Amino acid sequence: MTYKVTEEGNISTVHLDGEIDMDVTEKAKEVIMPLIEAKKEVHLNLKEVQYMDSSGISVLIESHQKANELGTKVTLKEISKSVLKVIMMAKLEQILNLD
Amino acid sequence: MNLALSNISEKKDFIVNSSSLKDVRSFSREVFEKLQLEQDLKDELVLAIAEAAQNIVKHAYKDIADTSDKMEITISLKNNELEIGFFDKGRAVDQNNVRHRKIDDVKPGGLGTFFIQQIMDAVVFKEGEKPWINHLVLTKKI
Repeated sequence: MTYKVTEEGNISTVHLDGEIDMDVTEKAKEVIMPLIEAKKEVHLNLKEVQYMDSSGISVLIESHQKANELGTKVTLKEISKSVLKVIMMAKLEQILNLD
Repeated sequence: MNLALSNISEKKDFIVNSSSLKDVRSFSREVFEKLQLEQDLKDELVLAIAEAAQNIVKHAYKDIADTSDKMEITISLKNNELEIGFFDKGRAVDQNNVRHRKIDDVKPGGLGTFFIQQIMDAVVFKEGEKPWINHLVLTKKI
Protein backbone atom coordinates (compact mmCIF):
# COMPACT_ATOMS: atom_id res chain seq x y z
CA MET A 1 0.00 0.00 0.00
CA THR A 2 1.18 3.50 -0.78
CA TYR A 3 -0.51 6.79 0.01
CA LYS A 4 -0.47 10.51 -0.68
CA VAL A 5 -2.05 13.22 1.46
CA THR A 6 -3.29 16.50 0.01
CA GLU A 7 -4.68 19.44 1.98
CA GLU A 8 -7.32 21.96 1.04
CA GLY A 9 -8.57 24.19 3.83
CA ASN A 10 -9.68 21.96 6.69
CA ILE A 11 -10.04 18.93 4.41
CA SER A 12 -7.26 16.38 4.24
CA THR A 13 -7.55 13.88 1.43
CA VAL A 14 -5.71 10.59 1.82
CA HIS A 15 -5.24 8.84 -1.52
CA LEU A 16 -4.66 5.17 -0.79
CA ASP A 17 -3.19 2.89 -3.43
CA GLY A 18 -2.74 -0.88 -3.59
CA GLU A 19 -4.01 -3.68 -1.40
CA ILE A 20 -5.10 -3.09 2.19
CA ASP A 21 -4.79 -6.11 4.45
CA MET A 22 -3.72 -6.93 7.99
CA ASP A 23 -0.10 -6.32 7.06
CA VAL A 24 -0.62 -2.63 6.30
CA THR A 25 -3.46 -1.56 8.58
CA GLU A 26 -1.14 -0.07 11.21
CA LYS A 27 0.51 2.02 8.50
CA ALA A 28 -2.91 3.17 7.25
CA LYS A 29 -3.99 4.10 10.78
CA GLU A 30 -0.74 6.01 11.37
CA VAL A 31 -1.62 8.18 8.37
CA ILE A 32 -5.35 8.64 8.99
CA MET A 33 -5.76 8.86 12.76
CA PRO A 34 -3.54 11.93 13.41
CA LEU A 35 -5.56 13.86 10.81
CA ILE A 36 -8.80 12.97 12.61
CA GLU A 37 -7.26 13.79 15.97
CA ALA A 38 -6.29 17.19 14.54
CA LYS A 39 -10.04 17.54 13.84
CA LYS A 40 -9.55 17.72 10.10
CA GLU A 41 -12.35 16.57 7.84
CA VAL A 42 -10.84 13.53 6.17
CA HIS A 43 -11.57 12.27 2.69
CA LEU A 44 -10.31 8.78 1.94
CA ASN A 45 -9.91 8.35 -1.80
CA LEU A 46 -10.18 4.63 -2.55
CA LYS A 47 -10.08 4.77 -6.34
CA GLU A 48 -6.75 2.94 -6.55
CA VAL A 49 -7.40 0.37 -3.83
CA GLN A 50 -7.71 -2.95 -5.64
CA TYR A 51 -8.28 -5.12 -2.58
CA MET A 52 -9.47 -4.62 0.97
CA ASP A 53 -10.13 -7.30 3.58
CA SER A 54 -11.79 -7.23 7.00
CA SER A 55 -8.73 -5.55 8.52
CA GLY A 56 -9.06 -2.68 6.08
CA ILE A 57 -12.78 -2.46 6.81
CA SER A 58 -11.88 -2.21 10.50
CA VAL A 59 -9.71 0.82 9.74
CA LEU A 60 -12.67 2.45 7.98
CA ILE A 61 -14.97 1.76 10.95
CA GLU A 62 -12.41 2.94 13.49
CA SER A 63 -11.77 6.14 11.52
CA HIS A 64 -15.48 6.80 11.15
CA GLN A 65 -16.16 6.27 14.85
CA LYS A 66 -13.16 8.34 15.98
CA ALA A 67 -14.26 11.20 13.73
CA ASN A 68 -17.80 11.07 15.12
CA GLU A 69 -16.40 11.11 18.63
CA LEU A 70 -14.30 14.21 17.88
CA GLY A 71 -17.04 16.03 15.98
CA THR A 72 -15.49 15.74 12.55
CA LYS A 73 -16.15 13.50 9.55
CA VAL A 74 -14.54 10.85 7.36
CA THR A 75 -15.92 10.51 3.83
CA LEU A 76 -15.03 7.72 1.42
CA LYS A 77 -14.46 9.03 -2.10
CA GLU A 78 -14.25 7.34 -5.52
CA ILE A 79 -14.62 3.89 -3.97
CA SER A 80 -13.32 1.16 -6.26
CA LYS A 81 -15.74 -1.59 -7.26
CA SER A 82 -13.91 -4.26 -5.28
CA VAL A 83 -13.84 -2.17 -2.08
CA LEU A 84 -17.50 -1.20 -2.45
CA LYS A 85 -18.41 -4.87 -2.71
CA VAL A 86 -16.67 -5.62 0.59
CA ILE A 87 -18.28 -2.59 2.28
CA MET A 88 -21.66 -3.86 1.13
CA MET A 89 -20.91 -7.40 2.24
CA ALA A 90 -20.22 -5.94 5.70
CA LYS A 91 -23.54 -4.05 5.44
CA LEU A 92 -21.79 -0.75 6.12
CA GLU A 93 -23.04 1.28 3.17
CA GLN A 94 -25.61 3.00 5.40
CA ILE A 95 -23.17 3.49 8.28
CA LEU A 96 -20.03 4.91 6.65
CA ASN A 97 -20.13 8.16 4.67
CA LEU A 98 -19.92 7.13 1.03
CA ASP A 99 -19.59 9.67 -1.74
CA MET B 1 -22.19 -21.80 -13.52
CA ASN B 2 -19.27 -22.68 -15.75
CA LEU B 3 -19.95 -26.13 -17.21
CA ALA B 4 -16.43 -26.61 -18.56
CA LEU B 5 -14.59 -26.61 -15.23
CA SER B 6 -11.82 -29.16 -15.06
CA ASN B 7 -10.73 -30.90 -11.90
CA ILE B 8 -7.69 -29.42 -10.22
CA SER B 9 -5.65 -29.93 -7.07
CA GLU B 10 -2.98 -27.49 -5.93
CA LYS B 11 -1.21 -26.81 -2.67
CA LYS B 12 1.34 -24.40 -1.30
CA ASP B 13 2.78 -23.55 2.07
CA PHE B 14 3.40 -20.15 3.57
CA ILE B 15 5.23 -18.85 6.64
CA VAL B 16 2.61 -17.94 9.26
CA ASN B 17 3.00 -14.18 9.11
CA SER B 18 0.85 -11.26 8.00
CA SER B 19 3.40 -10.49 5.29
CA SER B 20 2.54 -13.85 3.68
CA LEU B 21 -1.07 -12.83 3.05
CA LYS B 22 -0.26 -11.19 -0.28
CA ASP B 23 1.42 -14.44 -1.38
CA VAL B 24 -1.67 -16.37 -0.28
CA ARG B 25 -3.78 -14.09 -2.49
CA SER B 26 -1.38 -14.48 -5.43
CA PHE B 27 -1.46 -18.27 -5.16
CA SER B 28 -5.26 -18.28 -4.97
CA ARG B 29 -5.60 -15.93 -7.94
CA GLU B 30 -3.27 -18.11 -10.02
CA VAL B 31 -5.31 -21.22 -9.29
CA PHE B 32 -8.64 -19.52 -10.01
CA GLU B 33 -7.17 -18.04 -13.18
CA LYS B 34 -6.56 -21.61 -14.41
CA LEU B 35 -10.18 -22.43 -13.64
CA GLN B 36 -11.36 -19.41 -15.63
CA LEU B 37 -13.89 -18.44 -13.00
CA GLU B 38 -15.86 -15.22 -13.31
CA GLN B 39 -14.06 -12.22 -11.86
CA ASP B 40 -16.61 -11.55 -9.08
CA LEU B 41 -16.48 -15.16 -7.93
CA LYS B 42 -12.68 -15.16 -8.05
CA ASP B 43 -12.57 -11.99 -5.93
CA GLU B 44 -14.92 -13.48 -3.35
CA LEU B 45 -13.01 -16.75 -3.12
CA VAL B 46 -9.68 -14.94 -2.78
CA LEU B 47 -11.17 -12.86 0.04
CA ALA B 48 -12.47 -15.96 1.84
CA ILE B 49 -9.10 -17.69 1.56
CA ALA B 50 -7.18 -14.61 2.70
CA GLU B 51 -9.52 -14.15 5.68
CA ALA B 52 -9.06 -17.77 6.75
CA ALA B 53 -5.28 -17.44 6.45
CA GLN B 54 -5.46 -14.19 8.40
CA ASN B 55 -7.38 -16.00 11.16
CA ILE B 56 -4.53 -18.50 11.46
CA VAL B 57 -2.03 -15.64 11.87
CA LYS B 58 -4.26 -13.69 14.28
CA HIS B 59 -5.77 -16.46 16.38
CA ALA B 60 -3.98 -19.81 16.06
CA TYR B 61 -0.66 -17.97 16.42
CA LYS B 62 -1.84 -15.25 18.78
CA ASP B 63 1.06 -13.98 20.92
CA ILE B 64 3.51 -16.09 18.91
CA ALA B 65 5.71 -13.61 17.07
CA ASP B 66 8.23 -14.39 14.36
CA THR B 67 7.44 -18.07 14.00
CA SER B 68 9.10 -20.10 11.27
CA ASP B 69 6.08 -22.43 11.18
CA LYS B 70 4.29 -22.83 7.92
CA MET B 71 0.64 -23.17 7.08
CA GLU B 72 -0.47 -25.19 4.07
CA ILE B 73 -3.31 -24.26 1.78
CA THR B 74 -4.84 -26.72 -0.65
CA ILE B 75 -7.32 -25.85 -3.38
CA SER B 76 -9.07 -28.63 -5.22
CA LEU B 77 -12.01 -28.84 -7.55
CA LYS B 78 -13.82 -32.07 -8.19
CA ASN B 79 -17.20 -32.39 -9.87
CA ASN B 80 -17.70 -28.63 -9.63
CA GLU B 81 -17.21 -28.65 -5.85
CA LEU B 82 -14.40 -26.45 -4.69
CA GLU B 83 -12.67 -27.56 -1.50
CA ILE B 84 -10.12 -25.33 0.19
CA GLY B 85 -8.07 -26.77 3.05
CA PHE B 86 -6.00 -24.90 5.63
CA PHE B 87 -3.51 -26.73 7.83
CA ASP B 88 -1.57 -25.17 10.67
CA LYS B 89 0.43 -26.12 13.76
CA GLY B 90 -0.75 -23.30 15.99
CA ARG B 91 -2.98 -23.32 19.05
CA ALA B 92 -5.87 -25.77 18.69
CA VAL B 93 -9.01 -23.98 17.58
CA ASP B 94 -12.09 -24.39 19.76
CA GLN B 95 -14.88 -24.28 17.20
CA ASN B 96 -17.25 -22.94 19.87
CA ASN B 97 -15.13 -19.79 20.07
CA VAL B 98 -15.24 -19.16 16.32
CA ARG B 99 -18.03 -16.73 15.68
CA HIS B 100 -18.38 -13.39 13.99
CA ARG B 101 -19.67 -10.32 15.76
CA LYS B 102 -23.30 -9.33 15.37
CA ILE B 103 -23.35 -7.53 12.07
CA ASP B 104 -25.44 -4.62 13.37
CA ASP B 105 -23.09 -4.10 16.32
CA VAL B 106 -20.76 -1.92 14.29
CA LYS B 107 -17.22 -1.96 15.63
CA PRO B 108 -13.79 -2.78 14.28
CA GLY B 109 -12.97 -6.50 14.05
CA GLY B 110 -14.93 -9.73 13.89
CA LEU B 111 -15.82 -9.55 10.21
CA GLY B 112 -13.40 -12.07 8.71
CA THR B 113 -15.41 -15.11 9.77
CA PHE B 114 -18.61 -13.40 8.64
CA PHE B 115 -17.13 -12.87 5.16
CA ILE B 116 -16.02 -16.50 4.96
CA GLN B 117 -19.48 -17.72 5.92
CA GLN B 118 -21.13 -15.35 3.45
CA ILE B 119 -18.98 -16.54 0.57
CA MET B 120 -18.63 -20.29 1.18
CA ASP B 121 -21.31 -22.99 1.39
CA ALA B 122 -19.71 -24.79 4.33
CA VAL B 123 -17.01 -24.12 6.93
CA VAL B 124 -15.80 -27.16 8.88
CA PHE B 125 -13.08 -27.35 11.53
CA LYS B 126 -11.33 -30.67 11.91
CA GLU B 127 -8.58 -31.91 14.14
CA GLY B 128 -5.43 -31.90 12.05
CA GLU B 129 -3.62 -35.15 11.37
CA LYS B 130 0.03 -35.10 12.46
CA PRO B 131 2.00 -32.90 12.07
CA TRP B 132 -0.91 -30.51 11.80
CA ILE B 133 -2.97 -29.24 14.75
CA ASN B 134 -5.83 -27.55 12.90
CA HIS B 135 -7.50 -28.41 9.62
CA LEU B 136 -10.13 -26.03 8.29
CA VAL B 137 -12.16 -27.02 5.25
CA LEU B 138 -14.13 -24.52 3.18
CA THR B 139 -16.37 -25.81 0.41
CA LYS B 140 -18.47 -24.25 -2.31
CA LYS B 141 -20.35 -25.62 -5.26
CA ILE B 142 -19.43 -23.62 -8.36
